[in-house]
Amino acid sequence: MATQKSKPVSIFLSLTLLLASTACDLQPEDGDSANAFTTYRHSMDGAPSSLDPVHASNIYSNFLVVNLFDTLYRYKYLARPYQLEPNLAEGLPLISADGLIYTIRIKPGVHFIDDPSFPDSKGRAVRAEDFVYSIKRQFDPEMRAQGSWLWQGRIVGLDEWKKNGADYGQEVSGLRALDDRTIQIQLIAPFPQLTHTLVQGHSAIVPREAVDHYGQEFAIHPVGSGPYRLQSFNNASAVLVRNTRFRQEPFSLAAEGFDPATQSGLGLEPLEGRMAPFTDRIEIEFIAEDAARWNAFVAGELDFVKVPVTQFDQVLANRNPPSLVPLMAEKYRLIANMESGFVHTDFNMDDERIGYHPDPDRDARNKALRCAIIKAFDWHKRNEIFYYGIGRVFAGIIPPVSPEFDTEQDQDLISRDLDGAQELLSSHGWNASNLPVLEYGFAAGVTDRQMFEQFRSFMTDIGYPAEKIRPLTFATYGDYARAYLNREVMLATIGWTMDYPDAENTIQLFFGPNAAPGTNSANYNNTEFNRLYRASSTMQPSPMRTAMYRNMNRILISDCATISGISRTLILVWNRDLAMLPDRSFVGGFFFRFVETNAPSAGDGTD
Amino acid sequence: MQYALHKILHGMLLILGVTLISFMLMVWFGPDQTYTLIGKNATVEQIEEVRSQLGYDQPFLKRYTDYLVELFTLDLGASHSSGEQVGSILKRTIPVSLALMIPGFVLGNLVGIALGLVAVQHRGQWIDRLITGFSVTGMSLSFLIIIIALQVLLSTPFGVNLFPVRGWQVTGLGSYLQFVTVPTISLILVTVGYNTRFYRAVFVEESGKDHIRTARAYGASPATILWKHILKNSMIPIITRFMFSIPLVVISGSLLIESYFGIPGVGKITFDAITNGDQPVLKAVVGLTAVSFVVIQVLTDMMYKLVDPRIA
Amino acid sequence: MGPGRLWSQLRNDRAGLAGLLIVSLFFLVAAGVWAGWLGQNWSAANGGRWESASAEYWFGTNILGQDIFQRSIYSIRTAFEIGLVVALASTVLGAILGALAGWYHGTWMDGAILWLKGVLDSIPFYLLVAAVAFALHGKPWAMHVAMIATFWTTTGRLVRAEVMKIKSREFIAASQAIGLPDLLILSRHVLPNTLHILLIQVSITFVAAIKTEVILSFLGLGIQDGVSWGLMLAESTQEVLAGHFNNFMAASLMLFVLLLGFNLFADALQDAFDPKQVTL
Repeated sequence: MATQKSKPVSIFLSLTLLLASTACDLQPEDGDSANAFTTYRHSMDGAPSSLDPVHASNIYSNFLVVNLFDTLYRYKYLARPYQLEPNLAEGLPLISADGLIYTIRIKPGVHFIDDPSFPDSKGRAVRAEDFVYSIKRQFDPEMRAQGSWLWQGRIVGLDEWKKNGADYGQEVSGLRALDDRTIQIQLIAPFPQLTHTLVQGHSAIVPREAVDHYGQEFAIHPVGSGPYRLQSFNNASAVLVRNTRFRQEPFSLAAEGFDPATQSGLGLEPLEGRMAPFTDRIEIEFIAEDAARWNAFVAGELDFVKVPVTQFDQVLANRNPPSLVPLMAEKYRLIANMESGFVHTDFNMDDERIGYHPDPDRDARNKALRCAIIKAFDWHKRNEIFYYGIGRVFAGIIPPVSPEFDTEQDQDLISRDLDGAQELLSSHGWNASNLPVLEYGFAAGVTDRQMFEQFRSFMTDIGYPAEKIRPLTFATYGDYARAYLNREVMLATIGWTMDYPDAENTIQLFFGPNAAPGTNSANYNNTEFNRLYRASSTMQPSPMRTAMYRNMNRILISDCATISGISRTLILVWNRDLAMLPDRSFVGGFFFRFVETNAPSAGDGTD
Repeated sequence: MQYALHKILHGMLLILGVTLISFMLMVWFGPDQTYTLIGKNATVEQIEEVRSQLGYDQPFLKRYTDYLVELFTLDLGASHSSGEQVGSILKRTIPVSLALMIPGFVLGNLVGIALGLVAVQHRGQWIDRLITGFSVTGMSLSFLIIIIALQVLLSTPFGVNLFPVRGWQVTGLGSYLQFVTVPTISLILVTVGYNTRFYRAVFVEESGKDHIRTARAYGASPATILWKHILKNSMIPIITRFMFSIPLVVISGSLLIESYFGIPGVGKITFDAITNGDQPVLKAVVGLTAVSFVVIQVLTDMMYKLVDPRIA
Repeated sequence: MGPGRLWSQLRNDRAGLAGLLIVSLFFLVAAGVWAGWLGQNWSAANGGRWESASAEYWFGTNILGQDIFQRSIYSIRTAFEIGLVVALASTVLGAILGALAGWYHGTWMDGAILWLKGVLDSIPFYLLVAAVAFALHGKPWAMHVAMIATFWTTTGRLVRAEVMKIKSREFIAASQAIGLPDLLILSRHVLPNTLHILLIQVSITFVAAIKTEVILSFLGLGIQDGVSWGLMLAESTQEVLAGHFNNFMAASLMLFVLLLGFNLFADALQDAFDPKQVTL
């Protein structure tokens, strides 16, 4: 009996102790000293899973990676459209006349942060050899790297290096350090987008000592030479602190592409000549739930937020151009940021029920069916319901953010045409009983399901029987990706985030040889399109190349292979007291270093 | 001694079964992370590379025995997503889950015991009926409904707006109370109906026993009967329920609460591991929970045997 | 206990009668949906976004302009489909396995069934259901199978204990003595005597199945096509914080009332059969 009596007491005691001890563990590290620093509190709608450049394939990872590590290039902070700017590189690359050899000098005296993986824990100088190592890593199968596609089949000897066992001791003839500060890249064929790829987090420069020292855990122990170093990181938040050894470069409005006409109200002028990074500490909260993120911002817990669509009614006084309601404008500033990507729904052209068919008659009927579905799709309503009408609808695959976007595009291509759709169906012998079952794939989620139901209601408007439009749901995004990359999804909705401001990056989505498991998940294959793509892919930007891009766009539209598309307009809002211009597009995480929380023009600081 | 051996053997068999089933479900048929880890424009060869890096190309038996070895040596490997050691992930997240779940768990049981006692004391009267009705109402509410309603009522301008909507920025006792309150109330509401009903039934059964009747006949005061006899003799079922609920409440309960409130505990990482297919994390969480459940079961059995040798 | 005595017991239990009435009403509506008379317009998106309640849309509309009333009515059918299938199948499975284990108490068969039950009970419930639903995802019955596989164990345990009790009675020993085959005795004489347990278990698992559907739908593992209260609640989690409560109110009220009805009824059954029974 005695044991019984004491048992609950001891359970309680131990529970209480446990509770007390966990509470103690979570005491603030430095209650007062935090005030001595300037802190910028950023929020993101998702969390990076890894901080290793080889895995920096999404926007969340990329935001952190470009702050913890150095890339050779970046985009100018303020220039729109986006323009390249040297980062770790001394200047733009020296390109040989045939466009095949790139020579890049890196800045002198740049050091990695101090870390136990270096001798005496002192960060050593960054060398050209580190860049070579970092790109090779992308081709090392052991690394499970995600960035190799940027350079695959482009750089002399690199693919062979991988084939020969990825031995870092082995030289790659097209990727060499000529000396400690000179990088030379030799291309197989001209690749005009190469410099853009050297902005990507994937190209960020890592020291081999740290990778060897931390192994897989390098992904949470980043050691780089970027403007910030990591203080803490988990799936809810990250804290970055200023890298005190970051190279001293005076901030220049002119060099960053400052436009006084549109940007003079941001309080950036007093920053001229100061050394970035301006803010000591950056706290980043990863909050996937829209309402929670917004509430935290309104409560003053954050300095920056991407306004959730559900709040547009309360926040925006105008939609076009967006402006804040007066009450909010007193405290915050706003910018409408066109996303660097778009959403489109692809037909699986490999599926004989809807795509290419060996029988020319059925092939033509399938095309008519696809075109009818596209005509029946109500982009206006999609935009109104899910993006509050401020998304940008366009026809085809050259999104508004790319320099080659055609502002004069025919609006009829994206206007709903119910009569035309029905006419197409009946003239090609389609009726309610012989229309094929449409399988619309998506990864289970509330919004995706709603978009499916909306799609179904659009199709019933042209007489498509509702029971013939079926959801094909997947429990996770990975399973969905597996299905569409294995060509099992009849209609697959896919969002694409552009890597660089050149429509080549979106046009390749429909290049025949890129068919699944490549990025061409529509499995579209048009000889003329492919020919134009091949020809344009080695060309520097020019009006002629733009004309070729638009030509490919027209071919794709007339083949009705994809329901496309919309680019969302992101409404970014931040605290007025901060001097900054946030960006979620190509500048992305590079703007952190220019955030000033103690703006001289502002009143009291935010802390 | 023979009994103990028998129980341990029984426990081993259970562990074998639990690990086998969880392995089949979570790993063999479970989520495939290959396609979240490949880069853009991957080739078939690259996909194969990733698969083999993840060990997906190994035969069933090899992977299963590797899993058993991992569990028993507690060498759980590294997350496929972040590369962080699973051990250190657990070390980071389990304290959060305990701090989050324990208040609600303990209070939910205490309130249930208290209501059960009150009901038994007034058995058949309106108080009893009120409590029974209350517990049936509680049992009819979905967990999700309770969470949504409480969040709206307590954490938004549509209600009293006193607590944070979500998150877990705990730096001291004050912020701990801020973040833990809404989940705790949710947990109490979810469990109190079932708990009250269970404890009431236990007490009803106990109060009908002979020695209670005898005590009553000898004129023991109602309070003495309640505390000295009923509560004391009900300790075995109470402790059993308590012990057995721990691993299940911590994982199952926190899975929903943490993913809804965005709290970085073991439930959230398990949910994330399910949705992105991070098998090392999933294997460790499921394996360790199931094994600890079996161990608790065996230990409890053996403890009872010590207390009351008649139990077989 | 015969049906006549059961009814006379139930008749005096007002809460139980109310429960039965609620369940019957919901079942009638579900039958109306099956027959094609009610809730057929659940997927049409004709209204505006988040309209308030009106004569046309009794409970307002959701983000797509779909009629929330129609959707919540159609969900009654979904709930009964899930509840009935899962409750019946898991109770039958539990009855068979429990009876076998109880009858062959102490043999390898008992051991194997107890082992299986022990294994299933040791894996955290939501994780196990989610994992089964996940492993079978894409199959239309994934969710049902997941629940049946986990819900039978309680019924199995109760039936096993009851069968052991019954087996020791004299009339069973007598039937064995005259050489009747085991299976015949089991199905003719033993299982019918466990009917009261099965009836209670059906109503309890019905409740559990509907509650679990809500959680699975929130986790994205619920029904694939159609609409359910779980899907409506999952939808509402994104809306309530922006001040749109119609989806949430409609789904949670209906869900609550139906579950309350079932719980009251189950309680009354329990009281009728065995007023002192301890349900664990």
